[in-house]
Amino acid sequence: MTAVAPRAEGTGASLTTSKRTEVLEDRPVNLDGFVEEWPEKGLVAMESDFDPQPSVRVEDGRIVELDGRTRDQFDFMDTFIADHAIDVDTCEAAMATESVEIARMIVDPRTSRADVVAVGRGLTPAKILDVVKLMNVVEIMMGIQKTRSRRTPANQAHSTSAKDNPIQVAADAAEGAVRGFAELETTLGVVRYAPLVAIGLQVGGQVGRGGVLTQCALEEATELDLGMRGITAYAETISIYGTESVFVDGDDTPWSKAFLASAYASRGIKMRFTSGTGSEVQMGNAEGRSMLYLEIRCILMAKGAGVQGLQNGSISCIGVPGAVPGGIRAVAAENLVASWMDLECASGNDQSFSHSAMRRTSRLLPQMLPGTDFVCSGYSAVPNKDNMFAGSNLDTDDYDDWNVIQRDMQVDGGLRHVREDVILQVRNKAARAMQALFAELDLPPITDEEIEAATYANSSDDYPDRDVLADLEGARSVMERGITGIDLVRFLERAGFGDVAENYLQVLRQRVSGDLLQTAAVLTGDFTPLAAINDANDYAGPGTGYRLTGERWEELKKLRHVTSAENPEEEVV
Amino acid sequence: MTTNPDLAPDLTAADYPLSVHRPELLHTPTGKTLDDLTMAAVVAGDITSEDLRISPETLALQGQLAAAAGRRQLAENFQRASEMTTIPDAEVLEMYNSLRPNASTAAQLEEIASKLENTYSATTCAALVREAAQVYAARNLLAEEESPVAPLAPQEA
Repeated sequence: MTAVAPRAEGTGASLTTSKRTEVLEDRPVNLDGFVEEWPEKGLVAMESDFDPQPSVRVEDGRIVELDGRTRDQFDFMDTFIADHAIDVDTCEAAMATESVEIARMIVDPRTSRADVVAVGRGLTPAKILDVVKLMNVVEIMMGIQKTRSRRTPANQAHSTSAKDNPIQVAADAAEGAVRGFAELETTLGVVRYAPLVAIGLQVGGQVGRGGVLTQCALEEATELDLGMRGITAYAETISIYGTESVFVDGDDTPWSKAFLASAYASRGIKMRFTSGTGSEVQMGNAEGRSMLYLEIRCILMAKGAGVQGLQNGSISCIGVPGAVPGGIRAVAAENLVASWMDLECASGNDQSFSHSAMRRTSRLLPQMLPGTDFVCSGYSAVPNKDNMFAGSNLDTDDYDDWNVIQRDMQVDGGLRHVREDVILQVRNKAARAMQALFAELDLPPITDEEIEAATYANSSDDYPDRDVLADLEGARSVMERGITGIDLVRFLERAGFGDVAENYLQVLRQRVSGDLLQTAAVLTGDFTPLAAINDANDYAGPGTGYRLTGERWEELKKLRHVTSAENPEEEVV
Repeated sequence: MTTNPDLAPDLTAADYPLSVHRPELLHTPTGKTLDDLTMAAVVAGDITSEDLRISPETLALQGQLAAAAGRRQLAENFQRASEMTTIPDAEVLEMYNSLRPNASTAAQLEEIASKLENTYSATTCAALVREAAQVYAARNLLAEEESPVAPLAPQEA
């Protein structure tokens, strides 16, 4: 090392940057946005002097003080959390436990998940923050591994189309389902297309793998309507926020959202809320609190409402925590807190995040390595340019990379490699089922050319254009005629797609049993509900919990190209 | 909630999923069993959307399972849901919209609470609405009471 900075003077050179710097300047990561912290405005991940200190006081069986505020100073989040989320009987004892002790309980495999969840029931938002602030990212992953509610991890996909083409959505849903996604989500460019696209998602999903659950992200009331009709199977886009002002800007309150949660359950429909770090500061009113403090308030609000689960991990606001120091650690911490609070956690990794492939990968490891209820919420099962959620952290281009990472790390990220002939077959069948269904429903016809395109397509560019006005008219008529899921089952059966109809009927039957209402429920390929009751996470250190072994591990050893050990000239199929 | 001991036994985690282990406990609000919900019945037009709804009794059973798993709030949600099963879809949506901020007056929220209580025997739902009304009053989130239009103040010259 030299004590003096090298200078170009005297050599005749006038370079202000080195050639190496030029190379680094051109690296994709330098297209990402990074910003200094501004704690006064809430532009800080999880370490802020402006967050409140933990406190709780109970009088006459009621919490009268929460994190430094007395009841007369409560905003509606404080009130809802104090009255619904926190266990009054145990909170004083839980709060008296040293934060470092609780943090160690989370990491120590000898402390059971049940004990960790039990102490969590009595904690305030500031105390929970105080605990997770003590944990580094590896400890946070340890915590997720133990506190995730369902033993078996899973994954969720987006299937959307830049042209809102229902045939594309169906074909990509079918491929996504056969590749292993347990849930499929769609949304729209033109909202009026929703019924046809939601039908495409449902039909394609049931072609790919019977029992896949589908949803269509729309405004709350419309989303519920599609659910009640049985066109979708669950709902997720029920947004909540960590400050009262932003919650009101979103035209809701904890009470309206709690009522909505019960409304879904009253129709036997699975539902989770959505929240995430960065949303409050992005919407301009973080009230000077850190992103994670506000997100913990959301998590406790969700728990208080009695909703079974939460989609969190910054979600569409990932650019905000992603820009500040420690932001991606905070995102992992919010997934941990949701899991620790005994909620199903659909853990983000669902929004375009970075120009850097390396950074995109490092962002997903805190969820993928420990496993979450849904590692992505979701993974784009269409090329990102067709992703109407503004792109995801992973898309179809990454399928093989994902499969290789699963095999490298011996980690189950919910997907698998599928042979080309199988993929072509399900894509083709999904498109044909849609053709038959559209004919039965007297909707604008789907041509054989469109089926051919759907079978081999990558993106919406590969499909013939549809008559959008005619489709929108058809979509309107589907709603006006009151078409329901059971009608679709009948039409599919009549049109010769009996197995698809049967799969769809099986999904609808689940409403009657309510089994999918329990925490972290999904449906297996034989239509058995798998939830945090019959598949409760039993991780208790090495050799316990979910282990990628047996048949599933054999499945994940397969890739597009694996050389035969016996004959290096051959590939294993 | 139903308290008939024949219908609501003490369930444990081993009974979940009910569709697999305790199908005999399940029926639709229209009185059909899971076994009745066949493709043949769908094709014959014997199954409508009404037959694919959850019953209040089933929600009570799922509430037992949630409570047994230590999920108190989830069980409370199922309790409210069981009360809501008989409220028509459109009315549920209307009530939800009325609970949005600044959407209802105190009197309108009380009217909803009374209807929940008296028409649908939905007492825990009514309690939630009344609690919201209290909080909304304290946080200035009620719609303004309709008042007669005040006469314009005389203009100062």
